[in-house]
Amino acid sequence: MKKIVKSFYDYLDERLHLDDLVHFMGKKYVPIHSHSVWYYFGGVSLFFFIVQVSTGILLLFYYKAGPDLAFESIQYIMSKVQFGWLIRSIHGWAANLFILSAVIHMFSVYFEKAYRKPRELTWISGMLLLFLGMGFGFSGYLLPWNELSFFATKVGSDIAGAVPIIGEPIKILMRGGLDVTGATLSRLFGFHVALFPGIFTIVLGIHLILIQRQGISEPRRIAKLDQKEKKTMPFFPNFMLRDLLLWLVMLNLLAILAVFFPAELGHKADAFGSAPAGIKPEWYFLFMFQSLKYFPAHILFIEGEVLGILLFGAAFALWMIVPFWDRKSSRGERNKLINYLGMAAIMFIIVLTILGWIA
Amino acid sequence: MKKIIFIIFTLVLLNGYFSLKAQTLKSDDQCYLCHEQLGGVADLFKKDIHFQKGISCAGCHGGNSKSDDMLEAMSKASGYLGVPKGDDISLRCANCHAKKEMMQKYGSHLPTNQLELLKASVHGKLSTTGKEKIVQCTTCHNAHGIVSVKSPASPVYPLNVPNTCGKCHSNAKFMQTYNPKIAVDQVAKYRTSVHGMLNAKGDPKPAECASCHGSHGIRAVADTKSQVYALNIPETCSTCHSDAQYMAGYKIPTDQFAKYTRSVHGKQLLEKHDISAPACNSCHGNHGATPPEVASVSKVCGTCHALNADLFSSSPHKQAFDKAKLPECETCHSNHEIMPATKAMLGVSKEAVCSKCHTETKSTKGYFVAQKMRNYVDSLDVSEVLALKLINEAEQKGMEISEAKFKMRDVHQAKLEARTMVHSFNEEKFKEVVVGKGLSVSKAAVTESQAAIADYFFRRYGLVLSILITSLLALTLYMYIKKIEEKQASKL
Amino acid sequence: MSDLDSNQNRRSFLKYLLSTSLVGFLASVLYPIVSYLNPPKQNEVEVSSVLAGKISDFEKDSGKIVRFGNKPVIVVRTEKGDFKALSAVCTHLDCTVQYKKELGLIWCACHNGKYDLSGKNVSGPPPRPLDPYTVTLQGENIFVSKKA
Repeated sequence: MKKIVKSFYDYLDERLHLDDLVHFMGKKYVPIHSHSVWYYFGGVSLFFFIVQVSTGILLLFYYKAGPDLAFESIQYIMSKVQFGWLIRSIHGWAANLFILSAVIHMFSVYFEKAYRKPRELTWISGMLLLFLGMGFGFSGYLLPWNELSFFATKVGSDIAGAVPIIGEPIKILMRGGLDVTGATLSRLFGFHVALFPGIFTIVLGIHLILIQRQGISEPRRIAKLDQKEKKTMPFFPNFMLRDLLLWLVMLNLLAILAVFFPAELGHKADAFGSAPAGIKPEWYFLFMFQSLKYFPAHILFIEGEVLGILLFGAAFALWMIVPFWDRKSSRGERNKLINYLGMAAIMFIIVLTILGWIA
Repeated sequence: MKKIIFIIFTLVLLNGYFSLKAQTLKSDDQCYLCHEQLGGVADLFKKDIHFQKGISCAGCHGGNSKSDDMLEAMSKASGYLGVPKGDDISLRCANCHAKKEMMQKYGSHLPTNQLELLKASVHGKLSTTGKEKIVQCTTCHNAHGIVSVKSPASPVYPLNVPNTCGKCHSNAKFMQTYNPKIAVDQVAKYRTSVHGMLNAKGDPKPAECASCHGSHGIRAVADTKSQVYALNIPETCSTCHSDAQYMAGYKIPTDQFAKYTRSVHGKQLLEKHDISAPACNSCHGNHGATPPEVASVSKVCGTCHALNADLFSSSPHKQAFDKAKLPECETCHSNHEIMPATKAMLGVSKEAVCSKCHTETKSTKGYFVAQKMRNYVDSLDVSEVLALKLINEAEQKGMEISEAKFKMRDVHQAKLEARTMVHSFNEEKFKEVVVGKGLSVSKAAVTESQAAIADYFFRRYGLVLSILITSLLALTLYMYIKKIEEKQASKL
Repeated sequence: MSDLDSNQNRRSFLKYLLSTSLVGFLASVLYPIVSYLNPPKQNEVEVSSVLAGKISDFEKDSGKIVRFGNKPVIVVRTEKGDFKALSAVCTHLDCTVQYKKELGLIWCACHNGKYDLSGKNVSGPPPRPLDPYTVTLQGENIFVSKKA
């Protein structure tokens, strides 16, 4: 057995120079310190992404997009296909957990200022991945074509449509027409299974190459330490095996969630039906959805909602380019303002999410 | 005989009194004095209650009754109107009859809303001429010679009402001009009814047209305010039929309305406002109201319950009931107080209607059939309850069970059909519905939902197993990492 | 047994355990996936338009009940040969109706309710007409769909 593996490896090595890669990996070290635990969330997000790709492909074997068939095909998956309920429930749960772990990953990077020079591009690519993840969530939500998703998509695209000038074209682009119809379903299905995965894979590739190329960032206080005082562990195999261990734990978690809280289907969407009570977007959109409610109808001459959307847009833009305006961190100095801003953002998100949840 | 002599005597006396009064009037009413010479209407008017109360011709026709100069008395200047035409007729009557103080002046306590009611009634619509109401006061009450409703001479006295209404309503040619579809046989039918026969015999108490349809404010049957609108019929009939005092001489019960309101029909009609549910007239007829005869009960009920009636008529019970002179449906279901049919009626227990005739010692064949039929229904019920419980349980567990739920429709249908099929009193046919259609499906649903519940537990056990395996892998991986790191540490 | 030996034993045991549990893990992941890929016995549901059958399945002047999602639908081929589809749920007490050839009507066995072929309740207790469905012919196939 070992011989076969060895000869196969040699065969590849001869042609691809794998030794270089192994050598490179072996040289990579992960810093050990009191906040090392946060390093795992990038890997966990990657795991959920892999789960999404595999369960997504499996669902595609039975799912049929189109207002006539979408709901029924999912009903079929849930009731007739063996383990269909499991695949769909895992897809639903992993989607949520992906966003959660990606957000944790983002905040840990933010507070450690790991985005500082030279890792500005890694940060930006990561933010793009998070936005794409939300795009996946939004587009995937409609695919079961049930009442709740139908109206949530209607409301969601309406909000996008409120943006001045570009809003309306974006809304029409999203809906594939003036209203949420079968055309919207085909379109969002296309986004969900072709466009977004394509872009996501490219950006993820860049993100991972950047990490491999630049190595893992050390927090400022560790970077200052003497080389001898720094504790590290090899990326391969130590860190990678730990990553795998955590992935197994996450898989268990997914299985438990899928069995005990299987994905629901609800009632089939009816464009002429009245909106059901309590339409809420997915929880990660909830804080935005909720805060838009608090804007007054008009502020000076602009609509409150429009202003809110513009403010959110500005905030996200600022957040995304933080490596460029946080010069202090890049110079290796402390920047308390960043921490305060981050804490405020977390508090804001948590409070409004709770308010939105109980509303 | 004594009575009649007494009545005649009184009439003669009264007549004398009135003519005495008329004598006094005559002296200063110039219209009457002249027209009396001419005869005709004035003779009629002599008997008129208005004349007797001292109202002059001028009361309706205008003019100056004090003047003996014909030209002056009947001049426009003195307000002479001549013969009122069209709606003016009723307006003339309303001049006094719609005014309370005016009526009181003549010592009358009559109501004052007749014209208002007439205007709102079906008779208050425009006639074919398009100029006036279809009916004026005089159409029913006559013009000259109007007497009190209580007088047998009045065209609106109960004994005369059918003919008065019939003047128009039995005239096919006339009614055709208003409603080509309307029946014109009401009076003829009425004469065949219990009400009509008593009425013809001179009894003013039984219902005539106005008793049910109202008098001045008669509305179309489809008008929800009509006394004979489907929802209002039971109440209308009950005004007499529930009045024990009024019905005293007729030797029939007065609890029909109370019973009806408790019945399945009464609830459907009066509580759910389902106007297709039967009211009194659906079984008794309306104009020809009469209780259905024993042999025709199933035909009457069968107008709605057609299948049950057919099955019953072809069943062995038909002959047996006819022989024993038992009213068909009524024997088991009662008449006015029909309760929803439940399985309690079937079988051999005390409450079961079968046991009225079939016992272990008497008519034993029916006894055993009834017992078996009840057993089929009971086992279907048990199976249905179990199936529903299991389906519910499977649903609660989040399992997809819509197909079994869909099948339960057939059980529901079998139960409904069983209620009909029981009237064949044929065990084989009944079994085919209850067991063949119902129980088999119910059992299939039980099996399916049990499978769904089993799958639920399969998921749980599968989860436990896969978690165990994954955790074992995780644990060994952990140990493996430790091992590698030990090795790395020892190398340093 | 020397220290080295026991160490060696432990290592090989660990490797054994690792490979066995890895195999078990792969099995527990692959089993559901393989079963998932195995197509179910029942044909895929095509709702909103249901295949009611082939034209040749229907004699003239006959009817057939078709399952449409969770509801039964009655498809009738008239004497003249055209197709009609109506909800098969009697509007009186939810029994399933049937086509009655002798009457040329849709008939409910429970209480003798009758509907004409456009679904109008013509006699008996039903309070409302049957809901109509649309029939489309595609070649030999008859499809029934919800009326838009």
